Amino acid sequence: MRDSNYEAEFEKILAREYFSSIFDPIRKNAFKQFLDNGISKKYWENLRFTNFSALKKNIFRVSEISDSHPENFKYSDTIIKEKYKIVFYNGHYQRNLTNLPDSIKILTNLEYYSEAAKKVMQPSYSPFDLLNTAFMDSGMFLIIDKNIEVNNPILLTFINSGEDQLMISPRIHIDLGESSSIQLLEHHFGSDTGNFSNATTFFTLKENSFLKHIRLQMDARQAINMGNIHLDQDQNSKYHLSHFGLGSDLGSISLCSNLNGKGAECHLSSLSLTSRHQHLDTHTLINHKSSHCTSSQNFKTVLKDSSSGVFNGKVVVNKNAHKTNSTQSNKNILLSKNSKMNSNPQLVIDADDVKCSHGSSTGEIDPDALFYLRSRGINEKTAKSILIHGFISEILDTVDNHDLKNFIKGNFDKWIEN
Amino acid sequence: MLEIKNLRAEVNRKPILKGINLTIKEGEIHAVMGKNGSGKSTLSNIVTGKEGYDIINGDIKFENESILDWSPEKRSLNGIFMSFQYPVVMPGVNNTYFLKAALNAKRKYNGEEELDAASFLKIIKEKLKELKMDPSYLQRAVNDGFSGGEKKRNEILQMLTLEPKLALLDETDSGLDIDALKIISDGVNKSRSSKRSFLVITHYQRLLKYIEPDVVHVLIDGSIVKSGNKDLALQLEEKGYGWLEK
Repeated sequence: MRDSNYEAEFEKILAREYFSSIFDPIRKNAFKQFLDNGISKKYWENLRFTNFSALKKNIFRVSEISDSHPENFKYSDTIIKEKYKIVFYNGHYQRNLTNLPDSIKILTNLEYYSEAAKKVMQPSYSPFDLLNTAFMDSGMFLIIDKNIEVNNPILLTFINSGEDQLMISPRIHIDLGESSSIQLLEHHFGSDTGNFSNATTFFTLKENSFLKHIRLQMDARQAINMGNIHLDQDQNSKYHLSHFGLGSDLGSISLCSNLNGKGAECHLSSLSLTSRHQHLDTHTLINHKSSHCTSSQNFKTVLKDSSSGVFNGKVVVNKNAHKTNSTQSNKNILLSKNSKMNSNPQLVIDADDVKCSHGSSTGEIDPDALFYLRSRGINEKTAKSILIHGFISEILDTVDNHDLKNFIKGNFDKWIEN
Repeated sequence: MLEIKNLRAEVNRKPILKGINLTIKEGEIHAVMGKNGSGKSTLSNIVTGKEGYDIINGDIKFENESILDWSPEKRSLNGIFMSFQYPVVMPGVNNTYFLKAALNAKRKYNGEEELDAASFLKIIKEKLKELKMDPSYLQRAVNDGFSGGEKKRNEILQMLTLEPKLALLDETDSGLDIDALKIISDGVNKSRSSKRSFLVITHYQRLLKYIEPDVVHVLIDGSIVKSGNKDLALQLEEKGYGWLEK
């Protein structure tokens, strides 16, 4: 996609009558910033090693209301079934397919921004943040009041399908009230259409709240899936992410968390499996702004064929963030000579009394472990599979739900076997 | 059972084994003793099929067949087992899963029915008792967080489970206290039979007090310089290796 393509699509967004023109200056500002530097690797240092060929060679048009026809889509049996669910189809929120407990209030962004007259968030961690602000076309706001505990997971499904290659820019806000807790299961999937999904999600976690977030990126092979996540965490709030990256040609998850309140915790686990010419990125920025906060990052990738990946992890410990406890680990296995991983764990510490560690390793399957298994009569293929399973099990184990874990495991087994 | 003929092997063009001749008959226990770097571990690694060694000359026959071209798994399935000097730690790989996969691979190869989880557990629990191992072992990952002694016991447990024809014990005694040494030796002694052979590799005579060898070989700088009966081990304990070096 060239600048001229983006510009043409941007005009369409501005021309939409159902969008309030009060957003226009914000959109224009973000779009200008985006065009100024594009996805230039010189400007966006984190993207230095990202393979953007899938984005550059394809042209997308913005998703229109007419692209919102979920009845035409065949729901495959891979769909996870949950009681509570929120459905997006080609970026369009499907009110009729959505079911939520009464304790959760849901507003579309239009409703929210006009009623609450809140400031539109304008993050700029990556060009995709800017692109989302410029193009945000649908989305929703979930408000969970204080002291609410929802035991059943809430499924947040993004289905991308259709004939044309669409550009989809949902914007989600989830506000978790004081001492509330929910589990969010975010699932991206679709038919073999090369859509470009660029979703930005904002989580606000009030004091003592707990969000368990499982993100399954199983988009179609030709798809591009950018996930931009921004978190603001108050005192003693807890955020747990289990991210599984399997799908899309080009996929990325960028997560920025501000640990604003004392004792806040942010725990991230991620597993990406790549094959063919696939490229999957993970970028994190954990900002320790207050004391006694804990963050952990455990990111793993297994790569085969000519696929590639990037881990960019950054932990910033600000001046007053004493007693910070932070770990960061990135481990990758390369299963082929042509696969490639770039890992860049970073720590910036401005406080004295902190406990921080980080590390990264990338290599082939441990030949000693392979020989050990084979010396017990296990053939090479099975031995490799056992070792990869061992490598990924730590991330799989962060999912408590038995059925869901088996569903994810089933997908990984297929990946390993092929 | 095992016949090694004039075996010469190199690693990165450096000669390690310089013409080994060794024949182990059915039911025999042989011990190979030698200092660090004499080639003991190379010898057992090559018999087991580890990659990274260049065989320059010679042959290894197992039950009269040359095995040099055999994969490690084929050697194992045919009855060769090595207890590792440094057992590999495999985080995330469950012991039960691993052992069951190994045993069932062997059963399948032998045309026997694969065991289901219940029958497997029954077998394995008995063996755990023999080796005085805690059943919680089954839930743990292979050698992950194991003490030195636990790792070596795990090796012997695998040996008892797979019931090999030839077992190579590579410094199984190193890092063991006397109690663990006794338990492991008992395990080995119980599995002695007229059909099963052992090659025990060790620095010290200590282990050979418990596992009595039929033949003792002294390996120095890649060659067997002397062979004898178990008294040779006692002699080495007394005099060291110096008197055998050139």
